[in-house]
Amino acid sequence: MSSTQPLGAATAAGSRPARRLRRRTWRQALRRDWRLYSLAVAPLAFFAVFRYVPMLGNVIAFRWYQPGGNLFGEYWVGFYYFQEFWSDPSFWHVFTNTLVLGLLSLLFTFPAPVILALLLNEVRSSRFKRIVQSISYLPHFLSVVVVAGIIIQLTSTTGPIDQMLGHLGHAPIDFLQQPGWFRQIYVSSEVWQTAGWGTILYLAALTTIDSQLYEQARIDGANRWKQTWHVTLPGIRPTMVTLLILNIGTFMAVGFEKILLIYNPLTYSTGDVISTYLYRVGVQSGSFSYAAAIGLFESLIGLILVVSANFISRRVVGTSLW
Amino acid sequence: MVAVSETGVAPVGAPVVRRRIQTSRGYRVFQVVNALILTAVMVITLYPFINLLAQSFSAQGAIAAGRVNLIPKGFNLTTYKTVMADPTFWENYRNTVVYTVVATLIAMVLTTCYAYVLSKKNVKGRGFLIGIAVFTMFFNGGLIPNYVLVNDLGLRNSIWAIVLPNAISVFNLLVMKAFFESLPGELEEAAMVDGLNTYGILWRIVLPLSKAVLATMVLFYAVTFWNSWFSAFLYMDNNSMFPVTVYLRNLIAGATGGTDQSASGDTALQVAANIQAVTIVLTVIPILSIYPFIQRYFVSGVMLGAVKG
Amino acid sequence: MNSFSRRRFLGVLGGGIAVAALAGCSTHQPGGASSGSSGAGDLSSNKVGAMDAFAADAQFKATAPLDFGMMMLNNPNYPYKANWEFFTDLKQMTNVSVSATTIPQSDYPTKVGVMVGAGDAPAIIPKTYHPAEQAYISSGAILAVSDYLDLMPNLTATVQNWNLDSDLDTLRGPDGKFYLLPGLHENVWVDYSIAVRSDILQKHGIDVPGTWDEFTTMLQALKTAYPSLYPFSDRWSSTQPGPGANSLLATLGNAYNTHAGWNYQHQTWDASQGQFVYTGATDDYKAMVTLLNSWVNQKLLDPASFTQSDAQAEQKFADSQSFVISANAQEVVNTYEKDLTGVAGATVLKIPVPIGPAGAVNIGSRIECGVMISSSARKSPNFVAMMQFLDWLYYSEAGKMYAKWGVQGQTYTGSVDDGTFKLAPDVNWGGLNPSGTKQLNVDYGFFNGVFAYGGSSNLLNSQFPPAEQVFQKVMNQRKTLPLDPPAPFDDQQQQQTTLWATALLDSVNQNTLKFILGQRPLSEWDQYVSELGGLNSKQYIDAVNQAYQTYKKAHG
Repeated sequence: MSSTQPLGAATAAGSRPARRLRRRTWRQALRRDWRLYSLAVAPLAFFAVFRYVPMLGNVIAFRWYQPGGNLFGEYWVGFYYFQEFWSDPSFWHVFTNTLVLGLLSLLFTFPAPVILALLLNEVRSSRFKRIVQSISYLPHFLSVVVVAGIIIQLTSTTGPIDQMLGHLGHAPIDFLQQPGWFRQIYVSSEVWQTAGWGTILYLAALTTIDSQLYEQARIDGANRWKQTWHVTLPGIRPTMVTLLILNIGTFMAVGFEKILLIYNPLTYSTGDVISTYLYRVGVQSGSFSYAAAIGLFESLIGLILVVSANFISRRVVGTSLW
Repeated sequence: MVAVSETGVAPVGAPVVRRRIQTSRGYRVFQVVNALILTAVMVITLYPFINLLAQSFSAQGAIAAGRVNLIPKGFNLTTYKTVMADPTFWENYRNTVVYTVVATLIAMVLTTCYAYVLSKKNVKGRGFLIGIAVFTMFFNGGLIPNYVLVNDLGLRNSIWAIVLPNAISVFNLLVMKAFFESLPGELEEAAMVDGLNTYGILWRIVLPLSKAVLATMVLFYAVTFWNSWFSAFLYMDNNSMFPVTVYLRNLIAGATGGTDQSASGDTALQVAANIQAVTIVLTVIPILSIYPFIQRYFVSGVMLGAVKG
Repeated sequence: MNSFSRRRFLGVLGGGIAVAALAGCSTHQPGGASSGSSGAGDLSSNKVGAMDAFAADAQFKATAPLDFGMMMLNNPNYPYKANWEFFTDLKQMTNVSVSATTIPQSDYPTKVGVMVGAGDAPAIIPKTYHPAEQAYISSGAILAVSDYLDLMPNLTATVQNWNLDSDLDTLRGPDGKFYLLPGLHENVWVDYSIAVRSDILQKHGIDVPGTWDEFTTMLQALKTAYPSLYPFSDRWSSTQPGPGANSLLATLGNAYNTHAGWNYQHQTWDASQGQFVYTGATDDYKAMVTLLNSWVNQKLLDPASFTQSDAQAEQKFADSQSFVISANAQEVVNTYEKDLTGVAGATVLKIPVPIGPAGAVNIGSRIECGVMISSSARKSPNFVAMMQFLDWLYYSEAGKMYAKWGVQGQTYTGSVDDGTFKLAPDVNWGGLNPSGTKQLNVDYGFFNGVFAYGGSSNLLNSQFPPAEQVFQKVMNQRKTLPLDPPAPFDDQQQQQTTLWATALLDSVNQNTLKFILGQRPLSEWDQYVSELGGLNSKQYIDAVNQAYQTYKKAHG
């Protein structure tokens, strides 16, 4: 019975015409698939209670809010906060930085696990493979604070990188003081941290590839490289596309904590992103409404990106999230 | 690191395509290069960990002078003994285990159920059901509304405050859905003919075929819950209910966080670097040791291919 | 106050954008604030457990057993225990027990923000750093404690005896009230200065510097002795709001009559003009930056000082790769000396703060972090008793002594006022009594940052080893400069200036570092000042001066 509520909502979301027809088919669908729908009841309750109810709090993006006052703000201010950040040059600066850093991360962190998984797949000794796999997961378990500590250590003027440069006769570079190096450092550390862990999904997907397809390819005279190209990659394509779309949708959400720990005023020009900027604005005043307004804007961009990526993917490669 | 592997693949792979006759020799060369690349990956990954391990066994003075690299200096077990003698540490540790097990269990049940529904291409309202989930990846409530909700539901200071609000990760949900979709439909049809209903098909046919993805999801959820600290920090008011991550974070921030700027009698003492190292080691090891138990399912997924044929 | 700021806000928005609130009032009725300027209001129904004749220096004891909710910062160095002797003895002495909400130190302000923001905070919220409390004023979530000072005889007496009125003024909002019960010091406590390796100075016959000029000479002499090293490599770069090396900048800023590093504030009071000016654009600030730039140019100061982690700076100092580093009393004992134990003959000296153009002066407030009270506590029948309890614990001599050192004859002997104070033989704190096996804070719960604030100079000095007492004696002889006059923003000014403030601070920080490190020539200073103008530095200062005038008219 409780499953009728979300279904009713679904009807409303559907297209207007042929309403009566739809109603009848809904009844049919329910009668036929009620067991299936019953599986969705608890998850839907979860989304409703723990995701959609708190979302109502976002209304403070349009209302004057005082910490400790009314949860939903005191009174309407319309698009005041949106206009505020829209006309704030600092916002557009950090917005651009966020885009660039997000795109770069996507560009490198997305293919890295695919390549690593393919390399692992070619390893014959299962023992070696297992060891490499297990070790490459390790960085995923480190807290951001520790990772930032490692970065700072490695890039300092007395650190190993500068020592190596010294051997090559190069003057030491203080990497963390150079805006020109910030993106490289950030992106490499992201790759370091995520590549190994990211292979898990691909390795799981690789196990589902039909071994007969390889057999067939071998008979057709394909070498390992061609097998990889024509059998392996298509085999993990749905996984790749799913992850790519998800990554595209979330690429604006660059790592706040890590950046906060490794940037400094000298690298603001490349390293300052929306979340760190909000943090600096927020630390001084607790402007929840301003943050909510920017948060809504970010969310909207993410949603648009994921919907378009999904659309393009469905048209071009035939795989999509929904 | 990527740069290394990328340039590693192309020059080795490309000539293989051109000179077909030498495939086996080229492939052998590739195997060697591949092993080298992967070894390099291991070294780069391992270095900070060995350093951490070495620190955990080292004397404080040697760490402070930056002399500890890969081998402990001033070897001692004192810090391990100190940390392990702290009852709060073990209490919090036990909490972490309990929270992780319960939360993972519930998350797996909910995610599997929903992912299975979503994977059925012809179920009515599917787009809406997916939309509901995807939308929450981008739009979420603020800190305070979430807090008020959990408080009003009376979940504060209970395990449910940690488990329920994080019960479904949309990312995991979509991955699982994609996996279910890739399963051969004929099997389910055959099962239906044999008189199994939806529950039976899910339990008897689909789940046994999905061990690889289930193992992956268990790993993903377990690691997330094991490492999470914010919910516990926010919704628990008592030391004895915190997971060990909150304990760890407090330790680390005590050493790295900004020192009190104001003239206060409570300037943060520096928590010795080796205490941090020991605590990190002790917290990371258990979750790492889950992996070998789960890994075999990655291999067993091969049977799927056989069924498919 | 609520409706007042609301009207102002509507005025700014031209009334067009804003629509009146759906509900007339917020759900959380402010206690003191809502009753306007009338102050405390009727307290007759809030006196359960209170003492009728509570006075300064009297022992507080509730007439009925009471329990107060309290946020409890959990320091990893001495994790909270409910059965600390601090609590059991307190219960015996005052008939009061404490229900603690334990919060890890790492994220304390976050949880305070959420709990107060959700209207769900315990009555007592300690460890609040001004101006954190200001965000909660307009919603009425916290109490205007200045309305209830007559319940707090010890606090009132302390303010009178130590002449703290102008210090308290810095806490006041535009309504003339303050919302924080602050820790009060008898004298300005200077803790941060510079530590040097005195054995190295001695070895090369270099004098301990008394002024910043002599300090430069010292660095040059060290550079001559160790040409391949940076003699000075500094720390404290990750703290807000400064750009890096924040303690050094703050210390230098004081010497140059300006605000820098973690003391940075946008406005500086210019007594000669009788108004505020923009700090980052002043000649004093430029002079300070110029000095630092000359150090970097001569390779006396490690350029990494402004970005490296504390651990890295400490490593260099511990490894004799540098000989000068910023310090406070605890870091000298707990870090520098400890790390150098392996180096034979190494000694560390925290030098008296070198004197600069501002002269031999102490600058700063005698107020430290304090306690907020949730406005919901005002409705409690035990409200009066709670205020008396807080007054005794935080402001009476006996309460401060108890919170800091515990019980006479058990954890300590003697008295701090005649210099006979001594920890008990088996008790240690901060290395004062190394042979003690029990830690005063870990095992007993005393000297806990949640309870031990402020105090007399004698009480403060009792916690220092001899070397630090010498330092304090030198610093106490310097003249203390008067504080800047108050210029509190109202809601609308606050809102308007926040965005300017962030952009301005970013620019000041960025350019301070660029000038110091030579990435931008000092000849471009004027251009930088006009850049600040483009970021509304003038509008910002106008707002400050306007707030100053308004406050002066209303309360001055």
